[in-house]
Amino acid sequence: MTEPPAQSPASTPPATPATCPHCGAPLEPGSKFCEACGRAVTDEPETAPPTRTDLDDVSPISAITARPGATGSDAASDEAPAPCRECGGVVGDDGYCTQCGTKAPSARDHFEEQPAPWVAGVCDRGIRHTRNEDAMALAVEAERAVLVVCDGVSNSDNSDVASLAAAKAVLAVLRPPMPKGLGVPESAAAAVSKVFTDAAAAGNQAVVDTAPDDTVNPPSCTLVAAVLEDGVVHYCGLGDSRVYLLPDEGEGQLLTVDDSMAQLMIAGGTPRAEAEASKQAHSITKWLGKDSPDIKPRVGNVEVTAPGWLLACSDGLWNYASEPAALQEQVRAAGSTDPREIATHLVTFANGKGGQDNITAALARVGGGLDTGSPSGSPGSTNERSAETDVGKNASHG
Amino acid sequence: MRAMAEFTASVYQNEFLPDGGTDVHAIVTVECTGAGTAGQTGSGAAGEIIIIDTSGSMGQSAMAGAKRAAQAAVAEIVDGTYFAVISGNGAAFLAYPLVNAGPAMVPMNDATRAEATDAISHLRSGGGTEISTWLDMAGVLFTSVPQVVQRHAVLMTDGENNEPAPVLDEAIARATGYYQCDCFGAGVDWKVEEIRRIAQALLGTVDIIPEPQQMQQRFEDVMRQSMARGVANADLRVWTLQGAQILFVRQVSPTVEDLTTRRTPVNDLTGAYATGSWADESRDYHVAVRLAAKAVGQEQLAARVQLALGDQVITQGLVKAKWSNDSEQTTRIDPQVAHYTGQTELAQAIQEGLAAKAAGNEELATTKLGRAVQLAAETGNAEATSKLRKVVDVENEETGTVRLKKAVEKVDEMALDTASTKTTRVRK
Repeated sequence: MTEPPAQSPASTPPATPATCPHCGAPLEPGSKFCEACGRAVTDEPETAPPTRTDLDDVSPISAITARPGATGSDAASDEAPAPCRECGGVVGDDGYCTQCGTKAPSARDHFEEQPAPWVAGVCDRGIRHTRNEDAMALAVEAERAVLVVCDGVSNSDNSDVASLAAAKAVLAVLRPPMPKGLGVPESAAAAVSKVFTDAAAAGNQAVVDTAPDDTVNPPSCTLVAAVLEDGVVHYCGLGDSRVYLLPDEGEGQLLTVDDSMAQLMIAGGTPRAEAEASKQAHSITKWLGKDSPDIKPRVGNVEVTAPGWLLACSDGLWNYASEPAALQEQVRAAGSTDPREIATHLVTFANGKGGQDNITAALARVGGGLDTGSPSGSPGSTNERSAETDVGKNASHG
Repeated sequence: MRAMAEFTASVYQNEFLPDGGTDVHAIVTVECTGAGTAGQTGSGAAGEIIIIDTSGSMGQSAMAGAKRAAQAAVAEIVDGTYFAVISGNGAAFLAYPLVNAGPAMVPMNDATRAEATDAISHLRSGGGTEISTWLDMAGVLFTSVPQVVQRHAVLMTDGENNEPAPVLDEAIARATGYYQCDCFGAGVDWKVEEIRRIAQALLGTVDIIPEPQQMQQRFEDVMRQSMARGVANADLRVWTLQGAQILFVRQVSPTVEDLTTRRTPVNDLTGAYATGSWADESRDYHVAVRLAAKAVGQEQLAARVQLALGDQVITQGLVKAKWSNDSEQTTRIDPQVAHYTGQTELAQAIQEGLAAKAAGNEELATTKLGRAVQLAAETGNAEATSKLRKVVDVENEETGTVRLKKAVEKVDEMALDTASTKTTRVRK
């Protein structure tokens, strides 16, 4: 028998992990920095969320109630290597299936989060893109849920790193409960608007911070965030990611308004389907990033009046199901009450349609109707802030 | 002291395929460092057999040269290595050690080296050339010392084999995978094609020694190289996905050797190709795989190219496929792949050109050797260029326009033929 050499230079020195702890990209043995995201690979990923400091400028009565123990999970969680998604085979140490050679998605290419049984999201690279520039960040605290989705702009550098950083930064600002203002609706609306503006600013700063010094295409991304709190959905948007409210019965609603050429065309009278199919449809008119002209999000809120699902998603999903009814149909087709299964179905649906873009679907159960500890809400309850009087709905505060 | 041999694998390829593209080409460079010395690395003993042609065609100066060469080779064999000397003509004779039973190879030391040197000096020429008997005896000698795991022979002949081709081929088949053999042809009366068959199957080299006074140096060199091969019996392994087809696996440096048909299955998806023993060196392999196209944007592992010692994979290179719409990405040919594709065609053009010339087909010979001149220039193979210029007159190197020389030294043709598989590396 031949005695094999004791050490191969191809084996990774112990100091370097096989993949980047920040973005999941594979690393060259001995690397000190990740080639994909540029960060030092021996550092621990930052976990400390920024704390909200100027939260209650508008509403000095409310105390800051950031809860460090709030539920939430990280994209780069350490799980045992999953079987190959293509054939179920064993994924090798080299990151490819030992049977069919399919590249196993990195933690950045595909991740799922489920901070509570009634809240979950799936973020996926899709089929056509070589990396996942979508990002999401979710949090649940008791009956309060926060969904954040950012979609990195694909022709800019580091957008995958930027979008994830933005989503996390936005989530950190939105973790504490919304301020109540001075007790009158206008004051509360202004206070919530201020929080979303701060959140967008924090997201913007996170994106700017990921820009390589010498970049000519600074990273940028979209932002949508939805906060379910006390039976009301507060939301904000910037770019063309979306928030939908999809009741189990009855008509669904697209809550956000895109900042896109398609939206400008719709505003100018072009039918939605035609506008969204146009060549320029996906050119966004607002984004987060160094070269952004305007980072004030549109904000709004809506009362939950019936059980259903709150959905935050990127255009990788709604490209294939823009109308609320089409999304409701897919939610029903999932045949599950588990938001993770529904999100997985939505992603699979988009990939089945071609997966032209990265796909993110984040869901929270609203209005009860599930035995999962979700907020029960009060279907059909009357409220002074009904959908019609929806304060600030779709109103641009820019 | 156990050697700490290390292997690395580097992959050179353009992994981008156009929409619908199915064929992936890659050059995998495997480099070995810290190989140590044959038989000294704790992995088992090494054995060397020197096979000298003592047929009647070996004249006085050839015999004298061959004896000096064999003695020089003996001098290079490091102490502790098992060795033997075969004198071959119409049959094979054990020239050293002089034993009638039991192990037919002895460990090298001062005493055995002196005895072997003396035994070689008493060799006489006479009789025919039946190389199958030489190869078979070498196999028998190695079998008599089971502790020898790294088996290498050096063979020199000066004439054409006097056996039907199948007889030699069967002997080659018996030796294949059991020992390695470097081959020399002395003078110009031997058949390059015949000896190349032996060398290629037995993972060795083939070379011409035109003059007897050059024999000693060549034997010294080849034995020194063999002694530097401290890693015995490495396999190249190629994994590819289910349903994919390996178009070919070729060694392309230092010489072109098609390994495709030498595959032995390791499992359903992996095949092994014997590479013999390794010194501190690097070898390049050209691997081509055909697989089902995936959607644009998808990435697929096409092959894992591994170096294995026994059951253990020591290093691997990944050959990938990524489908893209970007023609700037997909139309670029990797310079290493392009270079070795040219070098492989060069070897083929030389061999086919010389074969056509020998068969009297001057037109085909001119075309093939012209193409060879062109390829040698394009790929920067100066050795091939200079050897080609001794066989053809070059009118235009770029277009490959040549004329066959009226009078060609046979030794130049044979030197061109034996060197045809030698490749150069990419100029960086």
